[in-house]
Amino acid sequence: MVSVSLRGVTKRYGETVAVENVSFEVSKGELFFLLGPSGCGKTTILRLIAGFMQPDEGAIHFDGRPIVGVPPHRRNTGMVFQSYALWPHMNVAENVAYGLRERHIERHQREQRVEAALRTVHMAQYRDRMPNQLSGGQQQRVALARALVIEPDVVLLDEPLSNLDARLRLEMRREIHRIHAETGITMLYVTHDQKEALSMAQRLAVMSMGRVEQVGDPRSVYRRPVNRFVAEFIGEANMIAGALLSSSDKFGTVRTPLGDLRATLGADGLHSGTQAVCMVRPECLRLGGGRENVFRARVESSIYLGEVEQFVLSAGGIELRAIQSNPGFEPAPVGREAQVHFDGEDAVLLPAEGAVHAPAEGRGAGLPPEAQGAAK
Amino acid sequence: MKRTAVILVAATGAFLLAFLIYPMLYSCRGAFVVNGHFSLAFFQYLYTDKLTRECIVNSLVLGCVVTIITAALALPLALVVARYSFPAKTLLTGLLLVPMVMPPFVGAIGMRHILARFGSLNLLFMDAGLMHSPVDWLGGARFWGVVIIEVLHLYPIMYLNFAAALANVDPSLEEAAVNMGSSGFRLFRKITLPLMMPGLFAGSVIVFIWAFTDLGTPLVFGYRRVVAVRIFDQVTELQNNPQGYALVVGVVALTALIYLAAKRLFGLRAYGSLSRGPVYGGEKRVRGLWAGLIVAFVLAVVATACLPHIAVILTALQKDWFMSVLPSAYTFGHFQDALGHPLTLSSIRNSIGYSALSTVLDGVIGILVAYVLVRYAFWGADLLDAMVMLPIAIPGLVLAFGYVATFSGTVLDPRENPVPLLVIAYALRRLPYMVRAAYAGFQQVNVQLEEAAINLGSPPLRAMRRVTVPLVSANLIAGGILVFSFAMLEVSDSLILAMKERFYPITKGIYVLIQRIEDGPYIASALGVWAMVFLALSLVAAGALLGRRLGQLFRV
Repeated sequence: MVSVSLRGVTKRYGETVAVENVSFEVSKGELFFLLGPSGCGKTTILRLIAGFMQPDEGAIHFDGRPIVGVPPHRRNTGMVFQSYALWPHMNVAENVAYGLRERHIERHQREQRVEAALRTVHMAQYRDRMPNQLSGGQQQRVALARALVIEPDVVLLDEPLSNLDARLRLEMRREIHRIHAETGITMLYVTHDQKEALSMAQRLAVMSMGRVEQVGDPRSVYRRPVNRFVAEFIGEANMIAGALLSSSDKFGTVRTPLGDLRATLGADGLHSGTQAVCMVRPECLRLGGGRENVFRARVESSIYLGEVEQFVLSAGGIELRAIQSNPGFEPAPVGREAQVHFDGEDAVLLPAEGAVHAPAEGRGAGLPPEAQGAAK
Repeated sequence: MKRTAVILVAATGAFLLAFLIYPMLYSCRGAFVVNGHFSLAFFQYLYTDKLTRECIVNSLVLGCVVTIITAALALPLALVVARYSFPAKTLLTGLLLVPMVMPPFVGAIGMRHILARFGSLNLLFMDAGLMHSPVDWLGGARFWGVVIIEVLHLYPIMYLNFAAALANVDPSLEEAAVNMGSSGFRLFRKITLPLMMPGLFAGSVIVFIWAFTDLGTPLVFGYRRVVAVRIFDQVTELQNNPQGYALVVGVVALTALIYLAAKRLFGLRAYGSLSRGPVYGGEKRVRGLWAGLIVAFVLAVVATACLPHIAVILTALQKDWFMSVLPSAYTFGHFQDALGHPLTLSSIRNSIGYSALSTVLDGVIGILVAYVLVRYAFWGADLLDAMVMLPIAIPGLVLAFGYVATFSGTVLDPRENPVPLLVIAYALRRLPYMVRAAYAGFQQVNVQLEEAAINLGSPPLRAMRRVTVPLVSANLIAGGILVFSFAMLEVSDSLILAMKERFYPITKGIYVLIQRIEDGPYIASALGVWAMVFLALSLVAAGALLGRRLGQLFRV
C-alpha cells in the first residue's frame, strides 16, 4: 500500500488541455475521490496514475518514488474499469487468478487467494461461471476481486458503478466502503455522481475542465465550497449576488436586493466593495422569522414529498429554492408572502466571477431534474 | 509498444514495397524504357499490331459481358433473398455459394464434355427437338463458353456484395418513400437502387477485373485471343521480347481507367444513413405460387451453377462418355489414378506446403497490420491500409508477370526455385481477406480488456497474446482457412511462376494433365474433385466460425 502524490501534472491532446497543473496527495489507506462532470479530466488522471498515458509535465510519486516512465504492467496498481473489462473467454476464477499467474504465485497459494478474494466480494459460489452468465452487479464484484487479489499498492476505480441500476449502485457503494474498511487499501475512485462521492469519500477533489477546484473532506466541500462551480456541482445552491460591505476574519456582509446578508467568507481575496455572491443551500433557507438574514419572499409553488417539502420562492427578482424537512399539516402559503431566513453560519460568500466553468454535461444522477436540466 | 508498432509497420511496408509496388514499377519501366530511353513504342505496338489489338478488345468485351450478365443474375437473387422468407431458404442461400469452391478452369474440363459438338447440351436440345444442328460451343462460340463458365463462377461474389449493400439500406428510407406514395419498380429505381450503388460498384469492379484477366478458363477452352493468354505466352520469352511489359501495363492502365469511368458513371457515393431507426418487418413471408416461383428461380440458378461441378465429377467418374447425355459406364479408377500419379502426388504435397506457408505469412502480417490499424492512430495509417487492400485490385497475372520480370537472375529467380515467390504471391493476393477478418475481430474487442491485463502485470505483447488473440481466434481461423483454401486453388500465379514439374502446385498439375491426350482430362477431373471437396469443407468451416460475417470478407 502506498501514498500517491501528483505535482503539477499536465496532459494535453494536441491543442486541448485534458489535465492542467493538477496536484494532490492521497495518503496511505485513504479512500480518495475524483469528482467532476464528464470530460473534466478525471479519468485521464486515473490513466496517468495507471501508466496508460504519460504526463506532459509534472511528477507522480508512489510513496515518494517517481513513477512516470515505469510501464503500466510494473506499477502494481489494481484498476477497476468502467466496463469491468472481464475477459469473456475466461471464467470467474481464471479472471481473478490472472494477475497472480503474472506474479508467478504457486498454484496452491494462488487458489487460496482467489478463493479469499471471491469470498470478500461474496462471489465464491460463482467461481466457474463465465462473465456473460453474470449480472452487472456480479461482474462488478468480480472486477473488484480481480483488482484486489494481487494486493495492489493502490486500487484505481473508474466510474465503477455507472453501469448499474440505482438500487444496485446503493448496494455496491456499501460494499466498496466495507471492502475498503476491511482491506485498508489506498483507493482512488473516479465518479461524476456527487452523492457517491459525499457518501463514501474520506476526501475528494472536485475537478472542472482539467483543473482541481477544491480538495477536502465531504462536509467541508459541501458546506464551504471555494467557488460557484464547486457549490453548484456538489449540490443545489441559491446564489444571491451583491456587493461586499464589510468583512471580519470569518464573516462578511453583502448588500443584496434582499437586504444586507451576513455569511461566512468562503474564499480569499474578497475585499470590501468587490462583487460577491451569497450561496445558501435550499435546506438552509427556512420559512419564518429568525435572528439574522431575515427577508420577505413570495411562495410561488410547493411540492409536498412527505419527509420534505420543496418550495420555489421569489424575492427581489431572484428565484430561490427551499426545502423544509418534516412539513406539518398546515398547507404551504402558496401565492402569499412569507418571512424567510437563514443562519450566517450555513451560508458562504463566494467571488461573483471566476472559476465558473459551466460544465457541458453530466451534472449527474442524484440531482433533482430541474437542476439537471439547468446544467445541460 | 509504440516502438514495436513502428518497427512492425516499417517491416510490413518494406515487404509490400518489395513484393507489390516494386514489381509493378519494374514492369512499368520495362514498358516505357527501351534501350535506356523513354519510349512509347510498345504502346504504339499495342494499338497497331492487329492480333494484340484483337486480344485487348476481346478481353474488354469478355469482361463487360461477364460483368453485365453476372449483375443481371445477382441482383434479383439478392433482392429475393433479402426481402422474402421462403421454404428451405438457409439451404438454398448456402448452395448459392457452391461455385466458389472450384477454380473455373477446372469446371471448364467438365464443361467441355457438356458443351462439345455432340456433348450433353446439344444432345439434350436435339432430343427435345429444340435444335436441328449442333452448335459448336467450343469452336466458333467458345467466347460464350468462357462467358458461361465465368458467370457461373463469379455470380456469388457479386451476389454477396449486392446482398450486403441491400442489408445496409435502411428499411425506413423505403418506408418513407412508400409513405409518399411510391411503390414497385419506381420505388426500387428511385430509392433502393441509388442507395445500394456502392455495393453494385464494388461487386462489378471485382468481377470485371477477374473476367478481364482470367487466364485459366480461356486456356482450357482454347480461346487464346485474350490479353491474359498473350501475357502468359510472353512470359517464356521475356528476355528478348519486351512486349509483355507493355501488355501488363496496358492491362493495369485499362483496369484503372475503367474503374475510374465506372466510378464516375455510378456516381460512387456512400450515402451513410443519418440514423437507423428500429427495423420492423424485414423479410416478408411468402407462400403459395410466389414462394414456388422464388424457390424455382433460386434452384434454377443453383442447378446451373453446379453444372460445371457435376460435369467435373461425371468426367472423373466416367468410363465411357461419347455421344450420350450422361456417361454410359462409370468407374472409380480415375480417383485412384489421381492419387497414384507421380505428378498429382507431388503437386498436392507442394500445394499444401505453399498454402500453409503463405497462410502463416498472412497470419503474421495480417494480425499485426490489423492490430496496429485498429489500435493506433499514426502517420501513414491510411497508406498502410490502402497498400494491404491493393492486391484485391491487382490481377494475379500482373503480379506473377512482374515477379518473373523483376526477380529473374536474382536469388529468387522462379526458373530456379519458384517456392519463395509462389508463397509470397499467394500470401499477397489473399492478404486483404486476412486483414479484413482480423480487423473486424480486433474492432470488436474493447481495448480495456487488454489494458486490464497490462494493469495486472502483463507486458503489452503478452496481453495481446493472452487476451486479444484468443478473443478473435474465430476471425483469425476463418481468415486463415480462406487464405489457405484460395491459395490451394490459385491459378494465374501458379501457372506462370511454377516452371519446373517438381514445383507444380495442384492447379498447374491439373492444367498440365488436361493437355495429355489419353486419360489426362479424367485424372485432372479427379484431382479437381479432390480439390473441390477440400475447399468446400474449408468454406463450411470458415462459415461456421464466422457466421454471417463470411460475406463481409468478399466486399471491397
